[in-house]
Amino acid sequence: MSAIQLIHLTKTFGDFTALKTMDLDISDGEFMALLGPSGCGKSTTMNMIAGMEEPTSGKILFGERDMAGVPMGRRGVGFVFQNYAIFTHMTVRQNLAYGPRMRGAAKAEIDRRVGAIAELLQLSTLLDRKADRLSVNILQRVAIGRSAIMEPAIFLLDEPLSNVDAAFRAVMRTELKQLQRQFKQTMVYVTHDQLEAMTMADRIAVMDHGVLQQVGTPLEVYNNPANVFVARFIGAPGMNLLKGKPAESDRGLVVDLGPLGVTPPLPDELAASLRGARGEVLYGFRPEQVALAQDGRGLAMPVTFVERIGARTIVHLGQGEGAVKAVFDNDVGLSIGQTAIVAPAASSVRIFDAASGLAMRAG
Amino acid sequence: MGVARAKPAPRDEGARLGFRLTLPAQILVLFISAFPLLMQLYISVTDWSPLSGLGWWNAWEMWNSFANYTDLAADGRFWSALKRTFIVMIVCVPAEFLLGLALATLFADDFPGKRIFYSILLMPMMVVPAVAGYMFFMLFQSGGPVNDILSAITGTQVTIAWLSDPTLALIAVMIADIWQWTPLMFLILLAGLVGVPQDQIKAATLLGANPWQRFTTIVLPKMKTIIIIALAIRVIENFKIFDTLYIMTGGGPGVATETISVYIYKVTTQDLIWGYVAAIALAILVVLSIVAVFAMKRMAGTREVAA
Repeated sequence: MSAIQLIHLTKTFGDFTALKTMDLDISDGEFMALLGPSGCGKSTTMNMIAGMEEPTSGKILFGERDMAGVPMGRRGVGFVFQNYAIFTHMTVRQNLAYGPRMRGAAKAEIDRRVGAIAELLQLSTLLDRKADRLSVNILQRVAIGRSAIMEPAIFLLDEPLSNVDAAFRAVMRTELKQLQRQFKQTMVYVTHDQLEAMTMADRIAVMDHGVLQQVGTPLEVYNNPANVFVARFIGAPGMNLLKGKPAESDRGLVVDLGPLGVTPPLPDELAASLRGARGEVLYGFRPEQVALAQDGRGLAMPVTFVERIGARTIVHLGQGEGAVKAVFDNDVGLSIGQTAIVAPAASSVRIFDAASGLAMRAG
Repeated sequence: MGVARAKPAPRDEGARLGFRLTLPAQILVLFISAFPLLMQLYISVTDWSPLSGLGWWNAWEMWNSFANYTDLAADGRFWSALKRTFIVMIVCVPAEFLLGLALATLFADDFPGKRIFYSILLMPMMVVPAVAGYMFFMLFQSGGPVNDILSAITGTQVTIAWLSDPTLALIAVMIADIWQWTPLMFLILLAGLVGVPQDQIKAATLLGANPWQRFTTIVLPKMKTIIIIALAIRVIENFKIFDTLYIMTGGGPGVATETISVYIYKVTTQDLIWGYVAAIALAILVVLSIVAVFAMKRMAGTREVAA
C-alpha cells in the first residue's frame, strides 16, 4: 500500500507554475528523496504534503484518505526543518514533550514517552540542557525526536543537512539513515545534493522546473537516466553528451560525431533501438567509464584541463559542444595540450533523442 | 623586594591609557549626573530656597537635621499624590501593553491598507504632549465632542463635566495617556513580534499547537526581554506623567489629579521650598531605581533564555 499518493498535483503562484501535474506514489516505509536544483518545485511539493500550502489542483492521499482541507496540525506528519526549528527557549525535554503536551496528554504519559524517545535517540543525558547550546547532530536528533514522539506515519525532511559543514555531513547521513531504519517510517527527503539522495534514499524523484523527470532507485537514475536533464544532473561530473547522427559502418551501427569522427560500434541492443531512427541523437557516456584506447580506436580529443582531486583525476577534453570530461585514476599521465584517444565502455553508452531529450531504450 | 611593582603589567598600562582617553567623558558625566545628584542630596537636608538670600553652596547654614524627610513622611498630600501616580500607572501601563500587543499581533500579518493604518497609528506618539493636553482639554469640555458623541449614542443631551469631577478627571487624564503612549508600546512589541522565528511557530503548528498555545508557549517566551524593556520604559515614563495632565487639569479639581510630578512642580514654583523639593525628588529617585534594577535583573536572567 502506498503511504502517500500525489495525483496530478499542481501548484501555481500567479503566472508562475511551481509544480506541474506531478504523480508520485511513495510506499509505506520507503525513503524517498526529492532531488533537484533550487526552484525545481521540490520544497513546494513537500510543503503541500505537510499542509503548509494548498495545492492549486490535484490530490494528495495518505493511504486512502484525501488530505484536502486537513490542517497541518492534523495530518500526522513529522517535519524536520532546514534549520531544525528547535524551540531554543526550552530544554531538550520540553522540546520533546511539546507535541504531547499541546495535545493535553497526562504528565506521567508524557514523561514515559519522552523517556522512551530519549533512550532511542541517545538523548537521555542531555534532557535538561538548554536547546540553544547543542551541537548540530544533537539538534537533528532533537528535531527528529520531537516529531517522532507523535508517532507520525510520515516524516518530511527539508534539506536538513544543508547548514552542516561538509566534513560532518557524512556522519549525519549515516545517523539519519540508521534512525530511519529504527523508526521504519515513510520518509520524504528534500535535497539538492545528489550525494545525500544517492546514499540514503530507497528511490529518488528527480525534478526540474516543476516537472517530475524520473523516479527510480539511485542506481536506476544513475545508470539509466530517462532524459538529458537527469543524465547531466546525476553524477559528479554529469554524463557526457555528444551530438551526432547514427551511421552504418562495417563494424556495426556507430554514431557519426562530425569533426570528432565516429564512435566505437554500439552494443547490439542499443543499435536495435536506433535502427530506423535517422534524426540527430546525443551520444552519452559516464566520465567514470572511459578508458584510454590502447589500440587507437576511440575519440581523439585534446586535453584542455586537468583537475586533480586526490583519489582521482578529472580530465577535460575538447571544447564547446564537443567538450567531455573523463575520470581517471590519479596516476594518469595526461597533461594540457596532449591529445588523448578515449573509448567509452560499451556497456555505459546511452543514446538520447536530440530533439526530445528522451532516452532511447533498448528493446 | 619591589620587583613585582618595578614595571606595571601591560594590562595596567592599558587600563591607565583607557582612563586617560575616557577622562573628558567621565568629567562630563560627573557634571551632568553625579554633581547635580550630590547637590540635591546636600540641599535636601537644609531649608534653602532661592529666596533665602544665600548661595546654594552656603545652604549648610540652614541645615535642618533631616526635618525635610520627617516632614515628607508625614505629608498627606505627598502620599496621596504618590498613591494617585501608582493608580495611573497600574491602569495605564497594562492598558497600553495589552492594546499595543493586540495591535502588534494584528500588524504582524499583512492586510490591505496596512501601511496607512500603521502611519495613522503612530501619529499620537509624535504629537507634542502639551498639544495633546490641549486637545484632550477641548475634547472633554462639557460642551465638547466627547459629550456630543455620547449624546448621539444615548439620544439624550449629555453634559458631563469631565474635568471638574474628581474621578472623571482622573479617568480623562488616563485616557489621554493611553491614547498617546499605546503607539510606543505597539512599536516596541511589533519589533519583538516580527523577530520571533517563523519556522519555530510552524513547527509548533505541525506538532498540533493551536493559535493560543503557540502564542503562550512560543511567541510570549521569545518576546520576554522586549516586553520587560517596553514595560520598564512605560513604568518609568508614566511615573513622571506631567505635561498632558497639567494642561488638562492642572492637577485639579482640587488635588484630584495631582500626581507626584505635578506636586513637585507646585511645591517648586508656588511654595518655593527647594530643600523640601530636593528631598521629595530624591525619595522618588530611590523608588524608580528599585523598579529599574528589578527590570534589569529580570532582563539579565532572560538573556540566556532568549535568542
